[in-house]
Amino acid sequence: MTIKQSEDQALDVLFEAAKNKSPTPSDAFLARLANDADTMVPDVGPGALARQSAPPEKTRVFASLKTLFTASGLSGAAALGVWIGLVMPDIVTTLSPLPSDAVALSAFLPGADLSSLSE
Amino acid sequence: MASQYTQDTPEAALLVAYANGDVSAGRLLINRLAPRLFAYASRVLGNTAEAEDAVQDVMVKLWQTAPDWQQGQAQVSTWAYRVMVNQCTDRLRRRNTRAQVTIDSIAEPIATLASAVETMTQTDRADALQAALGTLPDRQRQAVVLRHLEGLSNPEIAQAMDIGVEAVESLTARGKRALRAALQGRKEELGYDD
Repeated sequence: MTIKQSEDQALDVLFEAAKNKSPTPSDAFLARLANDADTMVPDVGPGALARQSAPPEKTRVFASLKTLFTASGLSGAAALGVWIGLVMPDIVTTLSPLPSDAVALSAFLPGADLSSLSE
Repeated sequence: MASQYTQDTPEAALLVAYANGDVSAGRLLINRLAPRLFAYASRVLGNTAEAEDAVQDVMVKLWQTAPDWQQGQAQVSTWAYRVMVNQCTDRLRRRNTRAQVTIDSIAEPIATLASAVETMTQTDRADALQAALGTLPDRQRQAVVLRHLEGLSNPEIAQAMDIGVEAVESLTARGKRALRAALQGRKEELGYDD
């Protein structure tokens, strides 16, 4: 056996001894690590999923306003049309002249049927 | 209730389970990783309190990484060793006046061992090796501990230390040579003479 081999073997003996006497963490330290793990565990319960899938507050506010403006715009335009038709029926017939065989808009006005009977 | 995990459950699977809210998987990972990381840090840093701090930092980083962990990207233990190596390197670098252990300074414990050579124990041998490890340059010490005490393969050490396999071989070879030099002529005292 050469000196080098002998020294290598001797070193192996020391490594083996050191492996068998490995520094071990204390129970208190392991408990500290466990506490960290408990504290940092991601919250993925049903509540967390609902919170994740819910849109942000800002997005929801914008969506509500958009709906409101759309609804009020449509109903406002419809109300204006009815009001013009009632108050200024001439404008309606002028702007969109009816063909001769068309029914006059005044026929749909309240009391039109009664006025035709009295004639 | 019996645990759904066994000794064979891969570390990556435990980490993913932890990321999905399973605390018991996290505790199993602690049981698997912390003792090895602590042993490594203690040997490299030579200080229990500092080793504990380093291990705690690594484990906290692991929990932070858990939600983004990609299965198959790396072994969790290799990743942990890599972070630990960086932790130890930073801590060693930060030591303003690191107590340099010289070969002469390990003469005293060995002399003590010599006086008790009849009762030389495994513990004495382990202590002598630890003292000799303290004389090595930081990188050599890290490589030798990972290879010969923690049992990592050279490719695993290369990943952990972010160097090539050849560099690992060079570091461990030079480290062993330096250890032999530190212990030279003291074989009888250490009780491992042929």
